[in-house]
Amino acid sequence: MRLALILPFCALPAFADVDRALDTHILPAQTELADTTQALADTAQADCTPQAVRPAFHIAYDAWISISHIQFGPLEDQALTLPMSFWPDPKDSTGKALARLTAARDPIVDDPDNFDDVSAAAQGFTALERMLYDPQPDADYACRLTQAIATGLARKSEAITHDWPAFADLMRSAGTDGNTRFQDEDEARRALYTALSTGLQFLHDQRLGRPLGTFDRPRPRRAEARRSERTLRHIQLQLAALETLATAMTDTDLTQTRTAFAEARQRAKTLDDPALQDVADPARRFKVEVLQQAVRAVQVAMINEIGTPLGISAGFNSLDGD
Amino acid sequence: MTFKFTTAVGTLLCAAAPAFADKAAVLDNYADIALAKYTDSLTTGQSLLAAVNNLTENPSAEALQAAKDAWLAARVPYQQTEVYRFGNAIVDDWEGKVNAWPLDEGLIDYVDGTYGGATDENEYAVLNVVANPSFTLSGNTIDASDITPALLEGSLHEADGVESNVATGYHAVEFLLWGQDLNGHGAGAGNRPWTDYASGDACTGGNCDRRADYLTAATALLVSDLEWMVAQWQDDGDARTQLSADENAGISAILTGMGSLSYGETAGERMRLGVMLNDPEEEHSCFADNTYNDHFYNAVGIRNVYLGSYTRVDGSIVSGESLASLVAAADAGVDAEMRAKLDATILKMLDMKIAAEAGFAYDSMLERGNAAGEALIMGGVDALIDQTRSIERAVVALGGNAIEIEGSDSLDDPEAVFQ
Repeated sequence: MRLALILPFCALPAFADVDRALDTHILPAQTELADTTQALADTAQADCTPQAVRPAFHIAYDAWISISHIQFGPLEDQALTLPMSFWPDPKDSTGKALARLTAARDPIVDDPDNFDDVSAAAQGFTALERMLYDPQPDADYACRLTQAIATGLARKSEAITHDWPAFADLMRSAGTDGNTRFQDEDEARRALYTALSTGLQFLHDQRLGRPLGTFDRPRPRRAEARRSERTLRHIQLQLAALETLATAMTDTDLTQTRTAFAEARQRAKTLDDPALQDVADPARRFKVEVLQQAVRAVQVAMINEIGTPLGISAGFNSLDGD
Repeated sequence: MTFKFTTAVGTLLCAAAPAFADKAAVLDNYADIALAKYTDSLTTGQSLLAAVNNLTENPSAEALQAAKDAWLAARVPYQQTEVYRFGNAIVDDWEGKVNAWPLDEGLIDYVDGTYGGATDENEYAVLNVVANPSFTLSGNTIDASDITPALLEGSLHEADGVESNVATGYHAVEFLLWGQDLNGHGAGAGNRPWTDYASGDACTGGNCDRRADYLTAATALLVSDLEWMVAQWQDDGDARTQLSADENAGISAILTGMGSLSYGETAGERMRLGVMLNDPEEEHSCFADNTYNDHFYNAVGIRNVYLGSYTRVDGSIVSGESLASLVAAADAGVDAEMRAKLDATILKMLDMKIAAEAGFAYDSMLERGNAAGEALIMGGVDALIDQTRSIERAVVALGGNAIEIEGSDSLDDPEAVFQ
C-alpha cells in the first residue's frame, strides 16, 4: 500500500518476476532436493558402507548446493540452515559432535524421530562427508550413524519442500490484505535479491576466501568439503544456481551480468584443482584468486543490472555478524 | 576486507516523501547516546581495573568476587553500545580488540585436559602465555618475560591470523577471573580459585605473578581502548564527525547497526548457533555464565537507539530527537510496527533472563533435548528476526529520502562499496 503511493512517481522500468523465480528455479530445485535425499536415505538403509553410499551422497549434495542460497522461507522458519550443512566450522564442531556420539555409542541414531535433537553439526551433509571419507574404527556404529544422518537429511528436505508451495503463495500474493510477511511486491523481490547477493558474498568470502587466506598464510585445510574433493564443484554449482536465479528474477538487460557469470564459469572450469589445495602453491594460487575476482565482477554487475534498475537493495543477511 | 554492500541499506531512489523530522537533531542525539554509553562503559571499566588491582595486590576470595561483580556491571553499558558497531566503521574496526569471542583460552593460561590441543585451525590453541616467558609464534621468537598491554595487542591478539586467538578484551579478562566452566550443561560458571592470584606457596595453577600481570595488562588495555572510543564521540571526535558528514548516510548507519546486530550477530551467531550445536562453549560469556544478559542488553541497546532515549548507569537520561520520530513522519504504520516488535523482543529476552536468574542456567538451556530452554532462546531469536523485517521496512519508509545518499553511493559506483 505504501509503495502503491510511491511507485506512480517513479519510472521503474521493469518488474521483478517473482513467479518465474519460484516456478523455474526455487520450487523445482526444492523438489530435486527432496527426491535425491530420499534416494540417499534409501541407499544407506540398503547398504551403509561408504562405497555404497557415496554416489547417492554426491547427487544429493549437488541438489543441496543448488538450492542452499535460498535461506529465507521454510528453511529459516524451521531453523534448518545449519542442520542441513554446517560450514564454515572454525572450531571443528562437526568432528567433536561425531566423536561424542561415537564414543558414547549414543542410541539416538536408532531413533529417527528424535535424531534432530543432536548437535546441528552432526546432522548435515558436512557430517555425512566425515562418515563416508574419514576412517571409522567402529564400523557398526558408523553404519547406524550414517543411516541416521541420511534419513534425517531426507526428512528435513521433505519438511522444507512440503512448506514451500504455501510460502510461494505468500510471495505471489505480496501486498494483499492479510499478508503480513510480504507487505508489498518489493518485499518479495528483496527476498530474492538478498538471496542472490548473499550467495555471491558467501561464494567470494567463504567458499573462495577461506581456503585462500592470505598469500603468506594460505589455508588449504579450510576448503569446504575437501575430504570428498567437492570444493570446486560447490563453487561451480552455486555459480550456476545463482545465474539461474538472477536471470529468472528480472527482465532487465543482463548483458554485463551474463558476461561476468560466463567469465567466472570459465575460470572455474579450467581450474584443475578439485579441493583448492593449490592455494598453498605460490605458482598456482593465482588461478583461484582470478576466479575470486571474477565473482566480484558478478557482484558488481548484479548491482548495476538488477539492484539499480529494480530500485531495490539487499536486506540484512546472516553474514552481517562477525 | 569488510564487505558492506548487503548492509548498505539504500532503496527506492525516486521516492520523494518530504522530511518532517530534523535529521541533524536525530544524529546529534544518536551521537550523544553513543558518548554516554561509551562513557558509562569507561567508568565501569575503571571500577573493574580498581577491583583487579586490589585482587592482585591483596588476593582473597572476597577480592576475586569483587572483581567479578565489577566485570558483570561493566557489561551492562557495554552490551548496549553494540548497536553502534555495524553502522559505524570506526567502532567495527576497533571492536575486535575489546569484545572478541569465542576464544581459544589455552592461548592465555592453563586449561583442563579435556580442552584438547592444537587444532587444524589454530596451532596456538594451547600456547599458555602465563606459563611461558618465551615462545615461537609464526616463526618469530616472542619475548614475553614482561606481560604488557603492548605485548597483548601487538604480538598475541589474533596471533597467526587466527580470530580465536583472543588475547585482549572483556572475554580474556572474564577467563582470567572465572576460569573455564567445566560444568558442561550443568549449573555453575567457571570456578577459578582466588589462590590462582596468591603469592608464594599458596599459589595454585602456577605462575601466579605472571597471571596477575596478564590480568592487569588486559584490564588496563581495555580501559585505554574505551578511553579512545569515548574520545571518538566527543564534539570533534572522528566517529561523530563521520556520522554527521552526510545526514542520509548517518541515518542509514543507525538502521544498519540495528539490523545487523539483530539478525546476523545476536539472533544468528550468538543465540541460534549455541542451541543448534548444543554446545555450552557457544556462549558469549561462557566463563561467567552471563550470556543471557549479553543478549538482553543487546536488545535493550537496539531499542533505545531507535527510541532515542538511554538511561545511564547513574540513572540520568540522555534523550532527544529520535529515529522513531523520523520513521513516524514517513509512515506512522511502520513506526508503530517497529515499536511493537522492539517491545516484543524485550519481553522474549526477559523470559530468558528471568528463567536464568531463577536458576535455569544458560548452559542447561542449550542442552540436547531441553525443549524448554530451546523455546526460551528461540523465542528471542524469532523476535529478533521478526524485528529485522520491520527494520527493513523502516529503511524502505525512509528510502529515497533519508537513505538516498547511501543508496546512490552503492548504486552509482558499485566498486566503491567493496572497499
